[in-house]
Amino acid sequence: MNRFIILMLSNIIYMACLFSFSVCAQESALESMVEAPIQEENRLWKSVKQTWKDDIQFHGFLSQGLFSTSGNNVYGKSKDSVSAGLTEIGLNISYQALNNLSFAAQGLYRRAGANTGDAGEATLDFGFVDLNILNLQDGRIGIRGGRIKNPWGLYNETRDVAFTHPTIFLPLAYFERSRSLYLALDGGQLYTDYNTAMGDFSFKFNYGWMNADDKELLTAIINDPTASGHLESDPSFVTQLSYEILGGKYVFALSYADLKMRYQAESVADPYAQMQAHVDTFMFSAQYNGEKFSFASEYSLQWNRFTDIRFGVPDNFPVSEHWYVQTGYRFLDNVQATLRYDSTIQNIHDRYGKGVEAITGGMVPAHLMYAQDIVFGLRWDITPAWMVRAEYHRVHGASTISLQDNRDLTQIAKNWNIYALQVAFRF
Amino acid sequence: MTLHCINKGMFKQRASINRLLLCIVLLLNAQALEATEVIVSANVIGQLKDIHELRAIFSLRSLYWSNGERIRVFVLPDDNLVHKEFVKEKLDMFPHQLRRTWNRMTYTGTGQPPVTVDSIADMLEKIKQTDNAIGYIDRRIEDESIHYFDAQ
Repeated sequence: MNRFIILMLSNIIYMACLFSFSVCAQESALESMVEAPIQEENRLWKSVKQTWKDDIQFHGFLSQGLFSTSGNNVYGKSKDSVSAGLTEIGLNISYQALNNLSFAAQGLYRRAGANTGDAGEATLDFGFVDLNILNLQDGRIGIRGGRIKNPWGLYNETRDVAFTHPTIFLPLAYFERSRSLYLALDGGQLYTDYNTAMGDFSFKFNYGWMNADDKELLTAIINDPTASGHLESDPSFVTQLSYEILGGKYVFALSYADLKMRYQAESVADPYAQMQAHVDTFMFSAQYNGEKFSFASEYSLQWNRFTDIRFGVPDNFPVSEHWYVQTGYRFLDNVQATLRYDSTIQNIHDRYGKGVEAITGGMVPAHLMYAQDIVFGLRWDITPAWMVRAEYHRVHGASTISLQDNRDLTQIAKNWNIYALQVAFRF
Repeated sequence: MTLHCINKGMFKQRASINRLLLCIVLLLNAQALEATEVIVSANVIGQLKDIHELRAIFSLRSLYWSNGERIRVFVLPDDNLVHKEFVKEKLDMFPHQLRRTWNRMTYTGTGQPPVTVDSIADMLEKIKQTDNAIGYIDRRIEDESIHYFDAQ
């Protein structure tokens, strides 16, 4: 525990230093600007600065987590130890070029346990051009082209931004293994908003290629971590209709996705060369954001079709189910407690994983096929820019753990605990 | 005698409670007198119709004035008392609801959040200097260069 506290403190100090540097840099830039000798130039610079300030915006976020667990590892070696294995840093730029034309891009650096390695990964999170085709008094229609975030449930679009969800770990429906698949797609989006006196409607339709190249996802489908090929996306779509009343006091959303993937073999003799995966899934979301109380619940069913896996392996059609109920209470405007009950089942026809355990001769333990999680978390928004939070999870089952952080299947615990702490910054 | 003392004590207590109540009532009145006011740039006076439109503007669902120009929204920081009061009184919302909407737009690239200014003085300055702008201040000041929006 002492080590935990020391690590956390050193992390906070490190980040404070990091940001004081950037603030110092800004101040010195301002000073040198004031010292510019010719007033004419100053005026010109001011007008450039004004346009710059008005139409170009920079925003970003940063978070660092600390985890200590019993039974299984999360984000690195956290079991009976402490892991600082989750770091998220994002920086974005948006440019309103014309009244109805804009550009936006965000770079993301992420370090998340063995899945990204110690060095972490840098990716283009989104990058697109946005054209507003029609603007009416009560709504608008537009299109976006490029890499676009997928509107999936309440949290997917901003899942890596700590500030936008109440707990450090997202509900199990957003589990890590399908993160890269759902995150964003390369293609286009049609969007439309319609505002009425009864509430506001938003509709988004994304069509394009998902990012299916994720080792963890492939391993989960074929149960073979030694496969040399990778998954590739075929044209897929994700769509969402949302309805908000009283400026987001009540939020309802229905999301639907139809995802197609196939195995891309590296060699001619690859036994998985013909494998195809097709996922049909929906999620229903409801949220209440009151002054003190908040409430959220989501329910999702996912029909999977894994065909031609390899010679001798029968086609597999598991139906996954995820749901949770979550309630929050704000003791003060900036201090919030959250309580959640969360459940995920890999196959509703084999709820307790007994079938899988029998078929694999006990190699895959039954509790790898489900998880139930009770979470209690506290969040303190110190300023609008800084936030810290802590939470405790009591978990039964292990379907959402990373198999790269937990390589020995025989060692996977059925009942376990997670203690987590996170500090986050945004601007 | 003892009874008398207790009564006297109670009387004193009551008097202090009354004084406290009076203070609270006065404070509440003072607050009512100094309610937050929505202000706009000179070039967009009279373009706002009602509270629904005001909420749509600050939630970034309404992006253009009726003259076709893009609305420039200015706000005070989330933890600023005037901001909290404005959001509750004028928008009938809570600051965390607005922040949720703004964050989603900011971190998906689908919209630019309002520009945050540090003080009322900054706010007045910005609205005066910028065309197509909207913001708010803590109370009504008699000044011809400040243009108010009065909900109908």
